[in-house]
Amino acid sequence: MSILRFLLARMAKMVAVIATIVVVNFLLIHAAPGDPASVLAGQSGAADARFVEQLRHQFGLDQPLSTQLWLYVSSVATGDLGISHLQQRPVLDLILERLSATLILTLSAFAFSIAAGMALGVAAAQRAGSWIDSALTVLALGFYCTPIFWVGLMLVLVFSVSLDWLPSFGMMTIGAPLHGLARVQDIAAHLVLPALTLGLFYMAVYARMTRASMLDSLGQDYVRTARAKGVPEGRILRRHILRNALLPIVTLAGVQAGQLIGGSVLVETVFAWPGIGRLAFDALLARDYQVLLGVFLTTSIMVILFNLATDLLYLLIDPRMRPA
Amino acid sequence: MPISGDHALSRRALLAGTAASGVLMTLAEARAQGITPKSGGTLTSLLTPEPAILVPGVNNQAPTLIASSKIFQGLLDYSMALEPRPVLAKSWSLSDDKLSYTFKLQEGVTFHDGKPFTADDVIFSIMKFHFDLAPRARSVFQKIKQATAPDPLTVVFTLDSPFEPFLLMFHATAAAIMPKHLYEGTDFRNNPNNQKPIGTGPFQFVEWQRGGFIRLKKYDGYWKKGQPYLDEIVYRIVPDSQSRALAMETGQVLMSGASDIEPFDVPRFQQKPNLEIETKGWECFAPLMWIELNHRVKPLGDVKVRKAISMAIDRDFILRRLWFGVGKVATSPIASTTLFYDPASKLAAHDVRAANILLDEAGYKADSSGVRFKLRHLTLPYGEIWARLAEYLRATFKQIGIELTLESTDTGGWASRVSAWDYDTTINFLYQFGDPTLGVERTYVSTNIQKVVFTNTGGYTNPEVDKAFAAGRNGATAAERKTAFATAQSLLIADMAQIWIQEMSFPTIHDKKARNLIQFGSGIHACYDDVFLA
Amino acid sequence: MSFLHAFTRNRGAVLGLIILALVALMAATASVVFPFSPWDMQGAPFAHPGEEGFLLGSDSLGRDVAAGIAHGAYVSLLIGAVSTLVGLAIGVSLGAIAGYAGGLMDDAIMRVTEIFQTVPSFILAVVLVAIFRPSLASIVAAIAIVSWPPVTRVVRAEFLTLRNREFVQAAEVLGRSRFAIIVHEILPNALSPIIVLASLMVASAVLLESALSFLGLGDPNLMSWGFMIGSGRSVIRLAWWMSVFPGLAIFLTVLALNLVGDGLADALNPRLSRRR
Repeated sequence: MSILRFLLARMAKMVAVIATIVVVNFLLIHAAPGDPASVLAGQSGAADARFVEQLRHQFGLDQPLSTQLWLYVSSVATGDLGISHLQQRPVLDLILERLSATLILTLSAFAFSIAAGMALGVAAAQRAGSWIDSALTVLALGFYCTPIFWVGLMLVLVFSVSLDWLPSFGMMTIGAPLHGLARVQDIAAHLVLPALTLGLFYMAVYARMTRASMLDSLGQDYVRTARAKGVPEGRILRRHILRNALLPIVTLAGVQAGQLIGGSVLVETVFAWPGIGRLAFDALLARDYQVLLGVFLTTSIMVILFNLATDLLYLLIDPRMRPA
Repeated sequence: MPISGDHALSRRALLAGTAASGVLMTLAEARAQGITPKSGGTLTSLLTPEPAILVPGVNNQAPTLIASSKIFQGLLDYSMALEPRPVLAKSWSLSDDKLSYTFKLQEGVTFHDGKPFTADDVIFSIMKFHFDLAPRARSVFQKIKQATAPDPLTVVFTLDSPFEPFLLMFHATAAAIMPKHLYEGTDFRNNPNNQKPIGTGPFQFVEWQRGGFIRLKKYDGYWKKGQPYLDEIVYRIVPDSQSRALAMETGQVLMSGASDIEPFDVPRFQQKPNLEIETKGWECFAPLMWIELNHRVKPLGDVKVRKAISMAIDRDFILRRLWFGVGKVATSPIASTTLFYDPASKLAAHDVRAANILLDEAGYKADSSGVRFKLRHLTLPYGEIWARLAEYLRATFKQIGIELTLESTDTGGWASRVSAWDYDTTINFLYQFGDPTLGVERTYVSTNIQKVVFTNTGGYTNPEVDKAFAAGRNGATAAERKTAFATAQSLLIADMAQIWIQEMSFPTIHDKKARNLIQFGSGIHACYDDVFLA
Repeated sequence: MSFLHAFTRNRGAVLGLIILALVALMAATASVVFPFSPWDMQGAPFAHPGEEGFLLGSDSLGRDVAAGIAHGAYVSLLIGAVSTLVGLAIGVSLGAIAGYAGGLMDDAIMRVTEIFQTVPSFILAVVLVAIFRPSLASIVAAIAIVSWPPVTRVVRAEFLTLRNREFVQAAEVLGRSRFAIIVHEILPNALSPIIVLASLMVASAVLLESALSFLGLGDPNLMSWGFMIGSGRSVIRLAWWMSVFPGLAIFLTVLALNLVGDGLADALNPRLSRRR
């Protein structure tokens, strides 16, 4: 039952981490100058003292901070993330509406980066020292060193502005209510550039890592033994080398889940992708505390869940790593 | 002195001398040109940013007002010369003592839920709904001593004293008529109907996919027979400015207005043969932008310094380079389309040398690095163009030896710092709502120095100016008011109370086949019951 | 094999060092080559590269893109270096305490580190800068706050192995203070991985700063590359050069820092090398 215990331990930790994040974020955001009442007053083009007071009271901003914190924490515990001051709708709804867009983007980018990164890494390692290897290394390093928003802009410049091959913004064609396959195709076409933008950076990381661990395993005894036994190269690659190369990649993927979501803020901004990264940024600028806290919480939970998934995957790939 | 809605003769005569006459293409004229309205079709428009909610009063931000003005209607709309036009009020008249306004309402008007519209809804909306929710409505409607409904289609408002701009307050963006039966006795802000707004307008709410679009459809029970012509209006929400420009360019949307399209994109639309760009339709609002100086900060209390700054600013450069020619250089604290604008008013010409001489004379000596004094500038957080403007100001102030340090902030931070008077300089712009009493006075009179945003936060005081604005406010006739506001303008310009930069204008860009989009001074805030696709 | 020899054998590292030196030179001479503020409007807006005396074109206000890149080099390097130093200071002290003290202290520090590694770091940086208003100090602080956890982990691991070594135990027996042992005995021996990590941290700090500026969260009084790309973004159809050139500058600088980092890793500590 070691896996169960491992899971329980992880869960306990998760709860502790999430609780800390909730409290810290709450305090942090309340340290900011300006409150939602002043934002609304500021944007409505006319205000008097009574108006601002009404808003403060409506949002509970006239309560002591500790009361506000307590109210927030206790409602979060029951799954209620509060109401958006700006949109006057439940925060959870806002997030859930946008969550799928972000998941589509980040997961496609992730899948692309793993697939392309490992393919490039394997190709480079198999021809270590050749010009292909050098070219791949340079390419990987190149993407690793380029700001992703700039990559996005350059892709737009080439594929949308100059070549006009792919749409440069949004998630689907405006004004064309498509259904079924056409809709999927439409979204896919819109997805290409943002997913590439977000994925290329991680592709570079995974390519480098795959190459390194491949070269590492190529020299290992078990590979030599397999070769001596006459096991076909393809099989060696799949069964022995890749499997081992996967371990560090899975670890890294877990660590980088947070970065991937952070990166999606930039990519969603460049491509007007209607995800939660964009929601967070808009909420931040508009001081929509509840939304921002909700996004924080959601992304943190996403990262934790992703980490948990990679841990489980780790157990699956490498039985030796099973916790005692 | 009866004023019939269709002629509005008296008022027109009163206003003729002061209002800039706008080109008004009425439906009749359109028909005269041989364009017969055609029924059917969907008008797609951009809308930026996504509104929070579609109920005026609960939210009075620009996108809410644009979209909700199709669902809710006011008693009146206004021509480009700001003459009242009938909407839910068929006609109106003013008693001889100038205290009682009587509105006769349209017959056969129903809300989207089928319930009839009556005088009770009007009284509820004015005296309760907007009065409770909106500061702007409160400031005017508090003058109403008594509101009565002699019959279900007549409303009489009796004021405590004559108030000439009263009739300007009945547009859907200021006092939309709300269904009393759905809102009375509820918490207006959290009323469940706010999510599914119900009004009397030509279009009714259908669906809203957040972050995507808002869909309105023709209301079959609309009180004008055969109207509206459009089947649907769809507002597309596209957060990214480049994406919006592209959507307009590729014909994915038929129109854009307000700040949907960034000024730098406007020139490329001018070359498109299928598109039309109109800059009229903001006369009811007439936003004027200025550099707001905090008079409490040394040496901004010195009129010579303010004059020097005004002369250092190249308003023409700002208009051409930053706003790509969209707008008009300011010449007065009152916008040229607002009533009682004095065409004789003028600001000193751009002259950096003269500005430096003025500062030398005033005794502000430059130190070894050419700096006379340092100021902070709180950048307006509404997007890129404002950041560019702040950068322009910093470069310009440097030319007259003022070192400007930029401070960036978000919308909440901006509003709370301006309300706390915690700034040296910033940029501000305000709607003037057609009349100096409604939209200009608040920035300059000493009685409105408050720790609240959009009051006289700059702290400017001049008893003469206070007197002039009071005379303008209380003046019973247009002639009296005209004299008062001319005085106010010349005093404010002599004091250079703030550094007025530009009369802002927002291009409405649309496909030529969409007709009648801009016919009123309220522009894209009109109810669109006569818009059609040719 | 001396350190220098090992480092110079790595051609990439040498190339990186050369690029870095050029960027540093550009930063140092910016005010000589372009003896005006990069914010000053120098001529016609939207001039193409090579036109009107603008080597790399001008922006929407007629400011010189080349001058912006030169002056921006200073800002990028400054923010990269300072935030790395601050991040190292936090990371090294926490890592040293955790690794040396062990027990409850170690546990507490590692829990905090974990939380910081769980929160999406870029979003955290955005929030910090926005809340404390964009300025040089808030940007440096935000970058440092999100970049210290890996340092803590590395330093802690080093300390865990080193604290049981003979020379540390000898020092303890001699009665030297804990502080002295940490600073004089263990830290010098843990330096190589820290140096390698630092070069990579500078690289990611430069990237992070550019991303913040791109979102409009840069110090409004400092010309930076990310700001230039951000301001060029909306007019990319009109003026590609406004975003292309500053992007190249970021790319080259970050590339150089990575190459140098790799070279350092190879030369200082084969154990950490990326096995090229």
